[in-house]
Amino acid sequence: MIALELIFIPIVLAFVLALFFRGDNSISKYISLVLFTYMLQFSLGLFSQLPESGFLELGTFLSVEKFDFILTLQVDMLSSIMLTLTSVLLILVALSSWSMKNQALYYSLLILFSGAIFGVFMSTNLLWFFIFWELTLIPMYFLVGIWGAERRIYAAIKFFLYTHVASMLILLAFFLIHKESGTFEITLIKESMLASPLLIWWLLFIGFAVKMPIFPFHTWLPDAHVEAPAPISVLLAGVLLKMGAYAMIRLVILLLPQTSQKYAWIILTLGLISLFYSAFMAIYETHLKKMIAYSSISHMGLVVIAISTMSYEGLGAALYEMIGHAFIISPLFLIAGFLHHKTGSWQMKDMGGLMQKAPYLSAIFVLAGFAALGLPGTIGFVGELTILLSTIKSFGLWMAIIIVASMLASGYIIWTFRRVIYGQMGKIVQETNFKMNNMEFLALIIFAFFIILFGIFPNLLFEYINPAFAQFQLGGAL
Amino acid sequence: MISSFSIFFLFALLSILLHRTKWLKPFALMGIVLSSYCTFNNIPIGLSGFFESENIKLFELILEIVLFAIILHEDEDITITQILFIGASSILLLQSDTIVSFVISFESLSLISVVLVSSIKTKEQAQGAIKMFIAGGISTAILFLGLVFYVMGGGDLLQPIITKANNIEQVGIYIMIIGLFYKLTIVPFHGWAADTYALVRDTHAAILSAVSKTVVVLAVFHIFSPFLLQNIDFSVPVLVTFAIVTMTLGNFMALFSKNLARILSYSSIAHAGYILLGFASIKSEFANDGILYISIAYIFMQSAGFLTLDILRKNYNISTLKELSGFSKQNPLVAFFFTVQLLSLAGIPLLAGFLGKAVVFYAGVDAGLWWVVLIALLNSALSVGYYAWIIKSIYFDTLAKKEIIKPIYLAIVAQIILFAGTVYFGIFAKTVFNIQ
Repeated sequence: MIALELIFIPIVLAFVLALFFRGDNSISKYISLVLFTYMLQFSLGLFSQLPESGFLELGTFLSVEKFDFILTLQVDMLSSIMLTLTSVLLILVALSSWSMKNQALYYSLLILFSGAIFGVFMSTNLLWFFIFWELTLIPMYFLVGIWGAERRIYAAIKFFLYTHVASMLILLAFFLIHKESGTFEITLIKESMLASPLLIWWLLFIGFAVKMPIFPFHTWLPDAHVEAPAPISVLLAGVLLKMGAYAMIRLVILLLPQTSQKYAWIILTLGLISLFYSAFMAIYETHLKKMIAYSSISHMGLVVIAISTMSYEGLGAALYEMIGHAFIISPLFLIAGFLHHKTGSWQMKDMGGLMQKAPYLSAIFVLAGFAALGLPGTIGFVGELTILLSTIKSFGLWMAIIIVASMLASGYIIWTFRRVIYGQMGKIVQETNFKMNNMEFLALIIFAFFIILFGIFPNLLFEYINPAFAQFQLGGAL
Repeated sequence: MISSFSIFFLFALLSILLHRTKWLKPFALMGIVLSSYCTFNNIPIGLSGFFESENIKLFELILEIVLFAIILHEDEDITITQILFIGASSILLLQSDTIVSFVISFESLSLISVVLVSSIKTKEQAQGAIKMFIAGGISTAILFLGLVFYVMGGGDLLQPIITKANNIEQVGIYIMIIGLFYKLTIVPFHGWAADTYALVRDTHAAILSAVSKTVVVLAVFHIFSPFLLQNIDFSVPVLVTFAIVTMTLGNFMALFSKNLARILSYSSIAHAGYILLGFASIKSEFANDGILYISIAYIFMQSAGFLTLDILRKNYNISTLKELSGFSKQNPLVAFFFTVQLLSLAGIPLLAGFLGKAVVFYAGVDAGLWWVVLIALLNSALSVGYYAWIIKSIYFDTLAKKEIIKPIYLAIVAQIILFAGTVYFGIFAKTVFNIQ
């Protein structure tokens, strides 16, 4: 079955490429592009094969029955959407890293990451899920630690340790689930089988909250985002955080619906705090990339709030916002990284007047910025609107306070425009030549295209998102 | 009678004749291949007081593979001979079934270990060897004290351990276990190990900390587990306490060490703590699998770790974290193997170290010790701190110094064998679970 190969071939290939090619050898670059395109094709192909509800079986491998350690590959609508999103982002990341130094190793690590992340989204055996979940840390650790900015080593080790500790809680929860239900297979576990759902819920919630990240477990993210090279920030925001959100939906909300319903107020409260706290932090920041990082956490706060509704509309909105967030934050990170690369500064006060020097780049920045604050006609608007409506439906009219966060977002985004894009041209900007590599620019254009496309035609996505949570439509999942 | 034990023993004796010739290494390797053949075909030792099982057979084969790799790596004649002796006594110990056979094989292994480290070249090595000698003496003394109590209480040495022991026998058994704790480097009996592993030659440290330790673990588990299971009310809290203290102290000490060999020594002590958690989970049907699995994983990764240190020290004159800076630029291949083994020690998935720990920890959860497992998991996360730091030195830092590189082909082959083991047992758990 091709699914298994799509996980293990990249993992093996990564080591082979890393051992045989060195320095700026560009073979790995082309191989990775071919591989990621194939992954996209595979993910898109899944949609036509999916059954109306439930999982499409892709096979079971390496079975150890005594320990229930079986690599079961199954996908449903939710995981197919995540796989597609991941493959699109991987292609765009590969494009936007086109002129990276020490390419051979860089792309090998990207390939390793792609195999692991496909494993995360395809395996329904909890232990194998955990194996791939942890495996994603290794390439990330090296990608941040080798290609990152000044404080990269601190950021890499903090990221590794922080998320690894969280993973340990998750592993304990999985063990408890197996002990109490007798299986690691997600599709066979029912909450009623579990003797201690509360303990398991807390372990899983904290574990995934770190990855998403939810306040107060978010402190690793600003560091990792700032120090990572721009394309890797895209991978962090677009794939790694989404992995957390995916796990939160699949293993907390869908697996333990009763306990989650009981603690929905905790998820909601933390989501609101994340939303507002990071919005205020973003206003305060003068560091361009840190501002974007906080804005990213703030958007994930919206996703958390939407998840806490545990309703058909809410989860659909969360998934939409997850996709929207990936397309909005990525170009912002890429442009911020590019500006730092050219000007050598992260501070907004050193920039200004970019529109005159690099109009196309600035236009994409402005477009993504507007999408981030939820301007109608962009993907951001649809996400925020559906989240607002679904939360008002679930929790009452007071959820309209989400609009305040959107207003805060307008504050920091438009202020950033004034300081970076418009305003007086800074001295450094004047002296810099902002010529961008074609491939990197192509990636930005594709991001911009998706922002507008899904902003105008949200149904292109909802057509697939809605069936993903069909079991919630009549309140049946509770 | 031809058996894997007798072949090891015979080849060890004959190998002395081949010292200072180029035939020694091929001869020793041939001995190991022959003994693996015997192991593979289930040829019994042929003495009373010894048993066979599929578990032990698998582990013996792995032991032979690891010894094969170590001999490939090693250049010193006397050490190669001693490795064969170690192999012989390890097989005796692994298969011993009664108290007397256990004690005799255990002592022969201890004795040959002392002989092993006593090929001294520097003052530090002498210090390490003497510490080990003294600790070994104390361990033996305590073991025999326990034995005396056991016999006084009426225990029969020619039988497996009594499960329903009277008070005096129980005192004897617990004293014996304390004596064995020295060998298993359980805190507070670990002091010698941290120094010995760090001070003696790295190949010797590989044998002591990886090979003989895992052999002792499996033998002790086989001999004592029926007793521990019978006296669960007392044994579990005691073992849990020792396990927690051992893993926590080991990890913290490793975190504060700057010397590579010392970091691996303390990590070895921390692993003893994880293994002891497997002992404490004796109630679970997975305890046996867990101990076996973590031993298999550990013998591969720990011996590979120390063999790499040997390469580093001999060829590149590197022994501290600082000197390791930027090593990936100097020898990417060795750097890669070292990194993989460190990740395995840290318990990163798709490597044997992860599954080893996972099965032991699962046994812990299964036995109802979930809070101990939580401590162990956090410890494991803590250990990532120092492993990641070593990897950081290798890959992220700038090259400290460039040394002239001598060819190390055989050592690389040894690393490949151990790497293959670590990866294989990280994915194909079936091999271990299907033999029960």
